[in-house]
Formats: sequence, structure tokens, C-alpha cells
Amino acid sequence: MHDEKNEKGIELRYILLLLLSLNLFAVDATLKIEKDVEQRARIALVDASPVMDEKFFKILLSDLKISGHFLADTRHHEGDINSNYLLPVLKSKEYVLKYALTKQAGTKLLIRLLKASDSTELFKKSYAIPTTTKAPFLAHKAISDINNILKYPDISWINRYVIFSRYTTPKHSEIVLADYTFNYKKVIIRGGLNLFPKWADKNQKSFYYTSYSGLTPTLYRLNIYTGNKEKITSSEGMLVCSDVSRNGTKLLLTMAPQGQADIYELDLSSGAKTRVTTFNGIDVNGKYVDDESRIVFVSNRLGYANIFKKSIHSAAVSQVVYHGRNNNACDAYGNKIVYSSRESQNSFGKNTFNLYLTSSNGSDTRPLTTTGVNQFPRFSTDGSVILFIKHRNYGSSIGYINLASHQSLLFPLSGKKIQSIDW
Amino acid sequence: MIKKIVLTTATLSLLLLTGCGQTAPDLEGANTGKNNVSDATQIAGDTVTIDENRYGNQNSADSNSSGKYNSSSDGFQSVYFAFGDYGIAPGMESRISTDANVINSSTASKIKIEGNCDEFGTDEYNYALGLKRAKAVKDSLSAQGIAANRMVIVSFGESNPVCSSPTDSCYERNRRVDLHLVK
Repeated sequence: MHDEKNEKGIELRYILLLLLSLNLFAVDATLKIEKDVEQRARIALVDASPVMDEKFFKILLSDLKISGHFLADTRHHEGDINSNYLLPVLKSKEYVLKYALTKQAGTKLLIRLLKASDSTELFKKSYAIPTTTKAPFLAHKAISDINNILKYPDISWINRYVIFSRYTTPKHSEIVLADYTFNYKKVIIRGGLNLFPKWADKNQKSFYYTSYSGLTPTLYRLNIYTGNKEKITSSEGMLVCSDVSRNGTKLLLTMAPQGQADIYELDLSSGAKTRVTTFNGIDVNGKYVDDESRIVFVSNRLGYANIFKKSIHSAAVSQVVYHGRNNNACDAYGNKIVYSSRESQNSFGKNTFNLYLTSSNGSDTRPLTTTGVNQFPRFSTDGSVILFIKHRNYGSSIGYINLASHQSLLFPLSGKKIQSIDW
Repeated sequence: MIKKIVLTTATLSLLLLTGCGQTAPDLEGANTGKNNVSDATQIAGDTVTIDENRYGNQNSADSNSSGKYNSSSDGFQSVYFAFGDYGIAPGMESRISTDANVINSSTASKIKIEGNCDEFGTDEYNYALGLKRAKAVKDSLSAQGIAANRMVIVSFGESNPVCSSPTDSCYERNRRVDLHLVK
């Protein structure tokens, strides 16, 4: 009898251990870190709009959260924009952001940043745009401004456009502009099959994309304000602009002029193309790394997709990642590399893809996600945040991971399958 | 007592498993807009919309054909591939011979060979896989005497599925090379 009790006790302890283990592995690595809460500034939002707008309030909250610099009160307080009076409950915060949003004859936003302890006004600014559709950008701009006023590291990436292509019907797609939260969306190329959009310049005035309107894939550059379209090059087989140099003068292309997918560097000023890889298999996804004299890329030269590195002007190739058996997409910023790794072996149906951060010499590798299908990793222009697409059983999301603060955000995506994305 | 602990832990586990990930609200955005934010050059100015619907309204030919799969046109036979593979399977060689005969009896100057993939690949790698398949068919046709300069290969990656149901037979139908005469 006593032994039976002991055995039951041991069994139950095993069950306990199993359940605790499940908890450990259930949470994305990026979400587990809330330990530096005290380092973030406590801030509350006070809505002084004539009509309180829950959507706009939540965008402001998202901006504050992903910045990694603020711990925002999630209650939607109401107040007067001009008064310096603060509810006693707000005195425990460091800052209070009062704002008034009006949507008559366009969109106007007035913000006042107050020091919570004594209501001192630290910053005041008004914004105006002629329509309501881009209101999310006003929220982003306001939060990046108060971030700068408080001298936190720059978060201006939240003001940028995201550009992506999505499939509509077989052999048809559209290219769409969005804000980072996807609350603003606008189709910029509708119809035909147009793929792999990639920003051409840091100011986001033009982007490259591959058009399938001709006999062979053709790369164009389109100015999003004037509609001016310029043919860059074409190639039999496939053609993708994988990366643009920091000064915008050189492109890394995946091309197949002889039916063999290889990586080329195109000098836009001279038109000269340098063939960077020559392997008789698959070499794609070239990304400038380090000082841009080298690239990282995806190749199946070991029999499976993996990440490699080489100098643009020499033949030697080195393996960067020694982990996983299918690492089929990557992005790079400086010496940082993020890659997507398939971590299950199902030929069909559900597979797990996780993102890993590593360096160009393969050191300091760490997981960024632990659940779901995580693909299309893209660094922000300052390398501080990674955008990615996450698929789980109950839907898809666009995700962001702030590498410094470890904050992460997911925004639901609906409908059509995303083909490629850039920001 | 231990049972209580187990029950409590199980409940906590379920809560944590279902609650992980922080999802922002789904807020439907607007579709068009003109903008001029002071001090925000990156969103100043109206952006264009290009309509390219005049191109590519035709879907893959014969997608409803009965019997053995085929989504090629002009008498060609599509060539199918195993998962992640780009080698011509022995069972597909007769189709290559049929396709060579179609080309030999055609007066068209060019034949377009389109490589396609199932939905499981991502990004550029899937397009490269489609390209390898198209190249494999081109090389097989070359070996049967077809002039290389009559054939143009293009990869469509996963962009041109002939079906979308989550079944093995559907995935098989999408891992293929289609052939068409360029008219």
C-alpha cells in the first residue's frame, strides 16, 4: 500500500514536470523578458478628442510598446487638452501624453507631453493631414517625436512604409503600401504578376519589383509619387532584387541568364554586372553584410538550404550557420544575420519555422521565436527591429521584435498570402 | 494535495499556452489617401496606383482537364516532380518525348517552359526550385534534339497553383512544369 502511494507520487511528479516543461517551451523567446520593466518610462495617455477613438488609442499604445522605452498605462483616460490638471491616479506615472484627434476636413492631432509629478509641459506639437486615411502615421510621428524629446534611442522606423506583394489569383498579385501596423493599406500596383518589391532608397520614394508582363521576368524601379517606371534589366528564368547597397548605387540580384540561378551585383551607374556566385545548384537571397564587400546568401550546395558567406570579388565560400537542415531565407544588417529555419520534417502540412539571430562569423546565435511558422525576416533600416510574418493555426500576423528591449508585437493579417515584404 | 497541485498547474499551463503572444487589435485600415504631414517627409505627397490588369488575365490552360493531370496548352504534356526535387522521374520521360514531338511539328519560333512549385517553399528559394525544374525539362528536350534557342524558361514559384486544396494530390499537381507555344 505504501509503495503504491510512493509510485503514484512519483507519477504525479513526472506529470508536474511535464506540464512545467510545456509552459517553458510554449512562450516565444522574445516574450519572456519583462524583467527590465523598471527601466522603461511609465506613461499614461489622456484622450481629449471630441470623439474618443479606440483604434487611434491602440495604435499609440502599440507605438509606445514596440519602442521599448515606455511602459504605457493601457487604460483609455479622458481629459481636457488645455488643462494641466491630472487625475491623482496619473501622478504615479512619469509622463502623461494628452492628445486631441479631430477628423473634420482632414485629420488633426494636437499633443502635449506633461511631467506627471508637477504637470510641467515638456513638449507640444500639432500635426495636420488633408485626409483621414493616413491617421496611423500621425500616431507614429507623435510617438517618435516624444521619444526624441526624451532623448531615447531613435525609433523613426515606425514612420516608414512597409511594402509587400500578395497573391490574388493564380499568376496575379498586387503590391501594397502599409504603415507598420497594417492599419493603413493602399494598393500601389494592381493586376498582372508583380513580385519581390524592394525599397530603392532610404527615403522610400521608389522601389524595385519584378514584373512578369513580358516573355521573361523584368526588373523595374517605380517612383511611388510620380508613377515614373524605369526598366532596370531582365533575365530568363528568374530575377529578384534581393538587396540594395546603403547608398543605393548597387543591387544584389538573383538572376538566371543561362538558366542557372546565381547572385549578381549590378552597378547602376555603369550598368556592369558582376557574377558573385557560380555554383551549379541554387544560390539566392544575397544580402550585403559587414562593410558591403561581402554577402550572405542561401544555397543548397551541401544538399539542403543553408546560409553561406563570400566576398564579392573572391571565390572562397564559407558556411555561416551550423544549425538546422533547412535554412531557406535570411536578412543582414552590418554583421548581424537573421534567418528562418525549418525545424520539423513534414513534407506536407504543418511545419515549424523559427527565426534565429546570429553574426556574420556565426557566433552569438540565439532563437528569436519558438512557436509557429515564422518567415520573411527583415531588419529595420537601423538594424534594431526585425519584421517577420507569423502563421499559426488560427491565422497569420505581421510581427516585430525589438532586439534591444526584447519587446514584440503581432498585428493580425487577413486574407491573401504574402509573397514578399520590405520596409 | 498533490492532485490539487497538478490540477492547478494544468490550469496554469492551459492559460499560458493559450495566452502567449501579444496580438494587437485588428483594425481595418483605409485604402487610399493623400497626405502632407508637417515634418514627416516620408509620407508627404500622394502616392500612385498602377493598374496592370490589361496583362495576364488568362489562367493556366486546361486546368480542368480530366484524366491524368495536365495544365500545359497546345498539345504539350506537363511534367510533374517529387517534393523538393528537380530531377525528371522515369515515369515522366514519355511526356518529355511527347513534348519534343509537339515542338518538332510546330512552326512556333519559341516555346515557353514554366517551372512551378507547391505552397511549402518560401521567398526566393521556391522560385529557384521552379527554375531548376524548368531547366531540367529544357535540358531533357535539348537531349532529344530541340534547339536550345527555341526554348525560354521562366519560374513562377508558388504563384500559379492549379488547385488549392490541402491534399497530397493537389500539392503534386502544383509541383510541375508547363509548356506553351509563344504566339
